[in-house]
Amino acid sequence: MDPECSQLLPALCSVLADPRQPVTDDTCLEKLLDWFKTITEAGSSLLLLQENPCLLGLLCHVLKPQDLSPRVLAFSLRLAGMLAAQEDCFQYLQQGELLPRLFGEAGPSALDSVPAEPRFLLSLPLSPTPGAVDTIFSLQGDSSLFVASAAGQLLVHVLGLSLQGPAEGHPGLQTGDWPVCAQKIASHIEESLRSAATPQITQALNVLTTAFGHCHNPWTQVLWVRLSPLVASLLEKDPVPAAHSLVDLLLSVARSPVLSSSSCGLWETLAQTLSHLSPTQAGPLALGILKLQECPQALRAQAFAVLLQPLTCVLEATAQAPGLLGMLLPEGGRVQEGSPRGSWARPCLAPHGRHLTWPQNSWVVMRACTTCWFPTQDRHTLASRLGASRLCDRGRATAPAVLVLEGRVLHLSVSGPRELVTQVFAVLLEYLTSPDSSPTVLKKAFQATFRWLQSSPETPGCSDLDPHAQLFLRDLLPVLPKRLCSPCWEVRDSGLEFLTQMIGRWGGQAGFRHALLASEVPELTEQLLRDPESYVRASAVAAMGQLSSQGLPLTPASPEHPGGQQSLLAELLHILSTDSEGFPRRAVMHVFTQWLRDGHADVARDTERFVARVLQVASRDLDWEVRAQGLELALVFLEQTLGRPSSHCPYAVTPPVAAPPSPLAQAPRPLCRVQLFEFAFRALFDCDRPVAQKSCDLLLFLRAQTASYSGPQGSGSVPEVASVEAALQRWQAGEQGQPLGYLEPEVVVAVLRSMDLEGLRGALAESSDRVEKSPRSLLQDMLATVGALGEDEADCY
Amino acid sequence: MLDCGMHMGFNDDRRFPDFSYITRNGRLTDFLDCVIISHFHLDHCGALPYFSEMVGYDGPIYMTHPTQAICPILLEDYRKIAVDKKGEANFFTSQMIKDCMKKVVAVHLHQTVQVDDELEIKAYYAGHVLGAAMFQIKVGSESVVYTGDYNMTPDRHLGAAWIDKCRPNLLITESTYATTIRDSKRCRERDFLKKVHEAVERGGKVLIPVFALGRAQELCILLETFWERMNLKAPIYFSTGLTEKANHYYKLFITWTNQKIRKTFVQRNMFEFKHIKAFDRAFADNPGPMVVFATPGMLHAGQSLQIFRKWAGNEKNMVIMPGYCVQGTVGHKILSGQRKLEMEGRQVLEVKMQVEYMSFSAHADAKGIMQLVGQAEPESVLLVHGEAKKMEFLKQKIEQEFRVSCYMPANGETVTLPTSPSIPVGISLGLLKREMAQGLLPDAKKPRLLHGTLIMKDSNFRLVSSEQALKELGLAEHQLRFTCRVHLHDPRKEQETAMRVYSHLKSVLKEHCVQHLPDGSVTVESILIQAAAHSEDPGTKVLLVSWTYQDEELGSHLTSLLKKGLPQATS
Repeated sequence: MDPECSQLLPALCSVLADPRQPVTDDTCLEKLLDWFKTITEAGSSLLLLQENPCLLGLLCHVLKPQDLSPRVLAFSLRLAGMLAAQEDCFQYLQQGELLPRLFGEAGPSALDSVPAEPRFLLSLPLSPTPGAVDTIFSLQGDSSLFVASAAGQLLVHVLGLSLQGPAEGHPGLQTGDWPVCAQKIASHIEESLRSAATPQITQALNVLTTAFGHCHNPWTQVLWVRLSPLVASLLEKDPVPAAHSLVDLLLSVARSPVLSSSSCGLWETLAQTLSHLSPTQAGPLALGILKLQECPQALRAQAFAVLLQPLTCVLEATAQAPGLLGMLLPEGGRVQEGSPRGSWARPCLAPHGRHLTWPQNSWVVMRACTTCWFPTQDRHTLASRLGASRLCDRGRATAPAVLVLEGRVLHLSVSGPRELVTQVFAVLLEYLTSPDSSPTVLKKAFQATFRWLQSSPETPGCSDLDPHAQLFLRDLLPVLPKRLCSPCWEVRDSGLEFLTQMIGRWGGQAGFRHALLASEVPELTEQLLRDPESYVRASAVAAMGQLSSQGLPLTPASPEHPGGQQSLLAELLHILSTDSEGFPRRAVMHVFTQWLRDGHADVARDTERFVARVLQVASRDLDWEVRAQGLELALVFLEQTLGRPSSHCPYAVTPPVAAPPSPLAQAPRPLCRVQLFEFAFRALFDCDRPVAQKSCDLLLFLRAQTASYSGPQGSGSVPEVASVEAALQRWQAGEQGQPLGYLEPEVVVAVLRSMDLEGLRGALAESSDRVEKSPRSLLQDMLATVGALGEDEADCY
Repeated sequence: MLDCGMHMGFNDDRRFPDFSYITRNGRLTDFLDCVIISHFHLDHCGALPYFSEMVGYDGPIYMTHPTQAICPILLEDYRKIAVDKKGEANFFTSQMIKDCMKKVVAVHLHQTVQVDDELEIKAYYAGHVLGAAMFQIKVGSESVVYTGDYNMTPDRHLGAAWIDKCRPNLLITESTYATTIRDSKRCRERDFLKKVHEAVERGGKVLIPVFALGRAQELCILLETFWERMNLKAPIYFSTGLTEKANHYYKLFITWTNQKIRKTFVQRNMFEFKHIKAFDRAFADNPGPMVVFATPGMLHAGQSLQIFRKWAGNEKNMVIMPGYCVQGTVGHKILSGQRKLEMEGRQVLEVKMQVEYMSFSAHADAKGIMQLVGQAEPESVLLVHGEAKKMEFLKQKIEQEFRVSCYMPANGETVTLPTSPSIPVGISLGLLKREMAQGLLPDAKKPRLLHGTLIMKDSNFRLVSSEQALKELGLAEHQLRFTCRVHLHDPRKEQETAMRVYSHLKSVLKEHCVQHLPDGSVTVESILIQAAAHSEDPGTKVLLVSWTYQDEELGSHLTSLLKKGLPQATS
């Protein structure tokens, strides 16, 4: 421990022990514990105690009956627990009878503070005595959910602890041979499972879930063998109590390597549960079963059937009465008489207020589609059955339904029959065209569409889209303008995001280009650059940038728009210098950086002028992310002028040998012309650290690159160098008034050489944040706060 | 879920709520119908993008229009500060904030929004900050009002919270100032202006660290008016481009501000400032007095910290902290009186400038909270967003004054409230007609007992006559009779015993129809009594009594009567 902290600690301990000086900010106590944790993890706890007797003093003080705040009591108990985790320190505390007094006799009083500070429960170094266990049992039913949950976890700890040693290695050992404490816990769980009260059953199930999830010792098998009949008997009740917890437990058992391999009737129980639970409850279980690595085929089939049950109903219904679905889904969403299994299908189909619960299991189905392995025939069945989704939604689609399709898209694209592939895009198109689709549905539909297109196979030997996709595109493009004109900004934005993705992926392909240019999409996108919503403007900037990158003319050269491209550059520069919000400006910087990187025609025409203008505007920006992006652009320019750094990390300092030798003599000149140095030096002293750090890295890279640059000899003595250095010092002191003006390359190189950039980098790494987080600062703050803040605390953000 | 805030005091997972308490393995959207955000402060909305984009909540999020507009700005502001620091993994990105905002459904004041078949919500004006709302949440006849943060006294730019007499089952109210009766806001404002004025007069520079939105606007209006009145010349600057944007929102949502601002808006927009100008970094070195608003508000990074370092050494200067600062920040340190601060690289900054704290937070004080309880007339009150000790005081006050139960659960604690929901039941015409036929006219003041069969079907409740129920449900009728044996000491013949019973009942039950049937049995309404000989004891007779469900009361009465024995025969 830092000596200054050691000096502060006694004062702090006495503050903590004094009930008249309450600690108002409990985050401080948490942070203090974090600090002790790092100390004890790195070194000896015993040493910590011996070197800082005030800590022991605090722990002893807590034992005295007094009006101590629950926060401080809980803090002390957690600290004691943390210290006692090391054997020698445990012995030491034990000798002083501190532990037994803290957690033994003082136990009940210590546990009184639990509701205020439940977390300390988990740091109790419990010697598992039956008495203590009784207290934990009662805490399981505490009105605080934190306490109840911590008590459950603690029971598992105690159980694990008491079975360490004797029972651990012997699977043959029956519960009857277990230590008293473990037996007591097992009986308690048994009793709870037999209880008629659901909360008690839930508690027991949760304890078991935690136990089987965390411990994979042989004793878990013994416990399961004893308790599984009771768990199975829960299924006989109607309705099945605590179904959620039961599902969690069964899955945790099935995942446990110890339990799933043994023949303790697990698969039978799972099968039974699948058939007993209601469809909504069984869904997650079925999904969990499908994800199991090893599981009997029959059970897998059963799980699969559960997932597809809603769709089966829909299909049966539609097969019997073709017009039925129309009746099934009138405005009110009520099922009419006459549906064969109507009452069942209704919860799956009926729109439920705003977010349709179609089908309740659809989420699960979707997850199954995307994450699970299905045999080929299953995949086909699934695909054809999911076709029903189109019938039942009719544009009143919901997010889950689209998600289902998304999953389906991915799978079909791998090996789907043509017919189904086409059917999918018809469904997607229906979502996209429907006037009733909500913004969320549209967003997901756009995402699904993009994925669908992305995964559609390209025609071999041709770089163009698959004919199906082409077809789709023809239908899709007329939809997009409508969406770009939507009154909802969410929809306009999602439309633009989709467009940007599309152009990025297929912008180079003739078919796509042709279709796009024939539509009004480019023109609308350009108009959206002036959208009232900043998010939309930013997305429009990205889309326009992408369009232009692909060489797609914005508007046909008309008398009003001579040279559309040029005007886009001007328009984006205008946005960069005038937009009141950060998102569009940041988007512009991204576009510009990309353009520079790709050698965009307009940029290449006069790169230096472009870079100079962008840097000039960016340096004045109030948003540090724009300034940081400006440095990114400067780096790209640097790379293009000096050659790429050899390392894949753009900011790594490159040894001089790696730099190409020839252009060096001339290299700094263009950098000077675009005033890159002025920009970088200004950024170096930026009040926002990421900018300063980025600039520092850039200058370090530059210095390394120009190490072998030999300008006029003795440039260090040039008077200009001294004046630049003086100006930089003023900048560093915070005065950023006067500009540096044009600098000669040799002056820059000399200044770079004389600067302590490494030192600066170190200082930047040690930011004020580090000071903020330092334990000394914490101790000082805690001491200074005593009695000082008070009323301010009430004042929130 | 009501609000989804974050704790700014932590830099790790602890800053967000632990959502695993809702469900550990399940999907959150299955457990929550919607999320309601009361206002844009980060302790109420800071975890929203984390919750919706990283934890995976996919359902609707409700908030008012101004909150929807301003929330992403503050989230973005905070994200940038968090990213500015080191080791801030597991934090949401700009894209996530946007995606989250796309899930928001904006609501108008007093508009009833149907969340699903059962749940409806309605927003009320809460003052506090632009767009802050209280929400009434209703399911059937039961309702809860959640206040969020509110203010019962109007301030310079916002009005006072208001709610109608909605009599919710539960009012969940903030209790930040549970015990304080705040000194008048005017006093605090005068104090603030006096301090600024003094500093400027002596040629000092005044730094006011603020967060982009909220309090900053209030202080701007305050200074602007004062400068105008006093004809002061010292410049006032606002350091980020945010005033412009913020003021844009205040203009856009002018209906959410107070009456005075709305009235004067036509002549002069209060948010277009004459004296307050945009700040440029170079200005900080200008000689002479000035006032600068700079972000962020806790002096922990960025521009405000940079200016602070520059000005801290001069005792003529002043820093005014208008809000709470978390531990570790420079703001927290100077407020707790530390004057030598360690900066980067072990540099020590000596703070000679004057440090002032000015609370402008707009929460209801104890009086305001009581006023709201009086307005809404809840059945019970639940206190949140405050300190336990202070809540205890307020709880007693509420319980005494309003005679309602008041709760103050700790974090994670469950409170169960008994309610008596009224469930509408339809009644069949047939049953009503039969009641009417009995000649009694309905009287609203006199509740009346009505017999019928309650049918619960398709979550509908209907009361029908039992005959109709049988018909509808296709059930056959079963007659149920209760029977009882009463032993009487009577050596006479059975017929004679029956006769004695008849005359006894005839004399006792004058209001009922008592008959002696030819077969020797006696009836009282539907009750049938027969006398039989005892198989073993000839001196005892057994009375077999049976009655139907409808006459249960009479049947029990009669048997107890018979058990007392018959009066001695007066031969």
